[in-house]
Amino acid sequence: MPKLTIDTIPVEVPAGTTVLEAARKVGIVIPHFCYHPALGSVGACRVCAVKLLDGPVKGLQMSCMLPAQDGMVVSTTDEEAQAMRRHVIEWLMLNHPHDCPVCDEGGECLLQDFTVAGGHGIRRYQGRKRTHSNQFLGPHIEHEMNRCIQCYRCARFYQEVAGGSDFGVMGSASRVYFGRFRDGELESPFSGNLVDICPTGVFTDKTARFRARYWDYEMAPSVCPHCSLGCNTVPAARYREMLKVMARRNDAVNGWFICDQGRFGNGAVNDPARPRAPHIGGEEASWDDALDRLLFRIGELYDLYGAGCLAVVGSPRLPLEGAVLLPRLAELLGARFLSYFVTTEESTRHTTAVSLLKGDTVASQSDVRNSDCIAIVDCDLMEEGPMLALAVRQAWRQGAPLFLVGKHAPLAQAQAIGVEAVQVDIPEEVPFGIFDRPVIICGARHSTPATIARIMKSGTTPICLLSGPNACGAALLARQHGAVPLAEAIASGQVKGVIGIEADIPAELLEGVPLVAAMDWRPTSLTEKADIILPTTAWVEMDGTFVNAEGRAQRFRRVMQPGLPIRGQGPALHPPRAHRMLPPGNSIRPAWQVIAALLERLGDEPVSEPLGDEWERLRSLDPEGEGICLFTEKEPR
Amino acid sequence: MELLLFRHNKPGRCTTFYEYRAEGGFAALRKGLAEYSPDQVQQLVIDSGLRGRGGAGFPTGKKWSFVPRDLPGPRWLICNCDEMEPGTYKDRVLLEANPYALVEGMILAAYALGVRHAFVFIRRGYETAATNLRRAIDEARQAGLLGDNILGSGFSCHIDLHVSAGRYICGEETALMNALEGRRANPRSKPPFPAIKGLWGGPTVVNNVETLANVPAIVLNGPAWFKGLAAIPEAAGTKLFCISGHVRNSACFELPMGITFGKIIDNHCGGMRPGSRFKACIPGGASTPYFTADHFNVPMDFDSVARAGSRLGTGGIVVFDESVCMVAVTLNLVRFYARESCGWCTPCREGLPFVVEILTRIEQGNGTADDIELLREHVRLLNHAFCALAPGAMGPVEGLLRLFEDEIREHILHKGCPFAGAPHYTGGADGK
Repeated sequence: MPKLTIDTIPVEVPAGTTVLEAARKVGIVIPHFCYHPALGSVGACRVCAVKLLDGPVKGLQMSCMLPAQDGMVVSTTDEEAQAMRRHVIEWLMLNHPHDCPVCDEGGECLLQDFTVAGGHGIRRYQGRKRTHSNQFLGPHIEHEMNRCIQCYRCARFYQEVAGGSDFGVMGSASRVYFGRFRDGELESPFSGNLVDICPTGVFTDKTARFRARYWDYEMAPSVCPHCSLGCNTVPAARYREMLKVMARRNDAVNGWFICDQGRFGNGAVNDPARPRAPHIGGEEASWDDALDRLLFRIGELYDLYGAGCLAVVGSPRLPLEGAVLLPRLAELLGARFLSYFVTTEESTRHTTAVSLLKGDTVASQSDVRNSDCIAIVDCDLMEEGPMLALAVRQAWRQGAPLFLVGKHAPLAQAQAIGVEAVQVDIPEEVPFGIFDRPVIICGARHSTPATIARIMKSGTTPICLLSGPNACGAALLARQHGAVPLAEAIASGQVKGVIGIEADIPAELLEGVPLVAAMDWRPTSLTEKADIILPTTAWVEMDGTFVNAEGRAQRFRRVMQPGLPIRGQGPALHPPRAHRMLPPGNSIRPAWQVIAALLERLGDEPVSEPLGDEWERLRSLDPEGEGICLFTEKEPR
Repeated sequence: MELLLFRHNKPGRCTTFYEYRAEGGFAALRKGLAEYSPDQVQQLVIDSGLRGRGGAGFPTGKKWSFVPRDLPGPRWLICNCDEMEPGTYKDRVLLEANPYALVEGMILAAYALGVRHAFVFIRRGYETAATNLRRAIDEARQAGLLGDNILGSGFSCHIDLHVSAGRYICGEETALMNALEGRRANPRSKPPFPAIKGLWGGPTVVNNVETLANVPAIVLNGPAWFKGLAAIPEAAGTKLFCISGHVRNSACFELPMGITFGKIIDNHCGGMRPGSRFKACIPGGASTPYFTADHFNVPMDFDSVARAGSRLGTGGIVVFDESVCMVAVTLNLVRFYARESCGWCTPCREGLPFVVEILTRIEQGNGTADDIELLREHVRLLNHAFCALAPGAMGPVEGLLRLFEDEIREHILHKGCPFAGAPHYTGGADGK
């Protein structure tokens, strides 16, 4: 472990750490553009200059390229180092436009920060700025090449990390251009990370274009609801509208990046057709009326068809807080059926998978990144968990072979990340035995319960992708409370009423069910059919918990005040003509609170904290931590 | 004097394979393979004092000795014939006259290094040289001097010719390897050095054409003979000097290493053109600081020229007479480098156009006294670029500031270029 001194502060770091990283460890941020923890050091921008006053290396050095060595005495404030950094900024500003006032990156721009920090202020270059034409890169990413400072982060991410081949660097000298051969949508399913990784405003989010400054955003640590991987995100909102999603670092889960689906696929939050108030028979109603009406209708139903002819239905996307209250709701309502899954197939696959989860043997995304052999069995990662494909590529870059097993593991998923794969028919053909850290991936969408069980018990570190952000939590509860799949319940002919709580139930299944009530934040076929609609909040409008496919519980925080987005409102609604304490469309509630209100009406004590009993330890979950694995005794690192 | 590299040259045409062989060509290869072990060949080159002729002057044998002997996997030899330094054309002259010495030298170098596959990376514009080389490789192969089991020695070696897609930076050895691998020709960071981790991750030696063409004569005649060719005891061998500019006779000469600069100009180039007086020159290719009349007695070998404040470089000498504006010369040179930057690191990509812009405004009469300090800052800080291109580009600027500061001040004071009739460079400042 080399010991060195940086600005008189002694530091000890593991061998191989660069001086830049060592300085960071003691809170000194040496300016950098081309260096990124996920992309490594390449020494291109030359802004991280430091002066070595004593030790094995002397003089002006680039701290990102310099491994820390014993006895180094580093100064970041030496005049020569400062002069170099000031000049690098001056060079970068020769061509960078002064368009910060109209640039979406303004306020979150690394170049802005380091330009101000570096002290360059007066322009000495008298030539003209070089300009570029921009490209259309698809509906999500805006391209503004004039702002480019040629740190090569985008090309390195796109080609090396994500394995894309349709974007890169062209030209040479001061004409280098980062783009595609011709205009067109970026093909990589991880292209949105260009927005996060660009240190300035070349790539910005079209969904948030000209909408807000960084300091205007409502932001909070959140978890992506799109698949069962639970990638960490920071959604940003303003004026009750969700504008964009940024990746949030979690080394145990998604690392530094997220997929485009998680980043750009969140339009439903702002959907004007979202249920915003309780409805009875298509008419807006108050919460009291709607809840009373629901209980009254259930009473009617029991009178007519006999007590208990009711199914309470949760789902893999319902946050854990709501899901844990469902058994009690079913009990107090006297409902004969509690469901978390719709079909028998889905239900058995999920319960089989979670019954075999053991925390120390299940693969996290981090484990996949560090594995030395990967088999994907009957699973298309692009559908069931795109970020796992990015993890697969990182392992492949280190030499891990990729095997695609079975007819439901398409080659296209490997092609999308630029990885060569070997296709085989059965998992037994993969030579796991000769590797140290092999991982086997399957998915609940195509694998039978028998296959899932075989894989989970195979001895090779497994991960089974599930069908939603809290599918693991739902499956655990389903097992614990003997839930039945909704399709089976309906097939028994005993279901005359269905309460769907953020559940996606096919309309044809509910043919002939006299009472349908829906709690949801999304307009679905169920809300369309429902007699009573109880609108709930989306994940960004509430605190909650998701349990991902590896059994890791992660807390997400409320990002934004729920309400009808200002954008799109006509003069009748905006600007407001009358004073109101709450914005329009604000009366939606988290699903667990709606359930709690029903429980209260049915005679229970008011619920202030839904996570009780064995879930209690999740109350203290740190939304900025790595999460808690439910299946390990010890809490993760 | 005794010629080494030009010994087989025929006036006005390329030497043939038969002529080369009849005049003793490939004898060194026979001798090397029959009498010496690979280590002994390397030792001969170390003892000869041969230094790299591509510009840096690094001892060739020492470079070879860095290649780990016991590493598994293939190792590579690359002949760098991407000669694009303005003022330098020695490799072209050499290959247009005789490509066989290079082929023979490469086989010997490959033998010494245990290389089974060598490459020649040749500049795109060198079509005649490439044709000659291609023919030479074919002829050597057909004569059993190249390919499998050369001359029954059990040693096998193949040579492939790769024509560059054409950028100056491809001549930088690590950028060259990237280009050869089909990547962008950006230099790689060192360490690891190519001798340890180079082409496709294998140990790689990159040598200049002239360097490798010296090897047969060293193997055949011994290190002492080679050292004796030089004009001064500290230097070794001969050197190709290619002269251009305002001299009477501008051509490429093979001369003893260490010959004084004045002798080259006065004796070999026949002095300056009528009516011209010597003002300055670039002594070793466009990236070297200038020489003036004060430097006529400097022996032209690597160490002596370095002591005189410049670099021997490639031996490409460009002579300027007194009608030439040194600011304009420098501007012209830096503009070349600004255009040829690969665009990887900031000092080179942005700093060089900045220097072009400063020199342009001085040349056009818009300079201020502050610009001199600004140029000095660039000379100092461009040393911290990623590779040697930007520091090299600052060679002439450094020379300009050291030797011709008065001339710069004259531009600034009189708000214009004092050299009437001198070429004026009025193009854009962006290096295009």
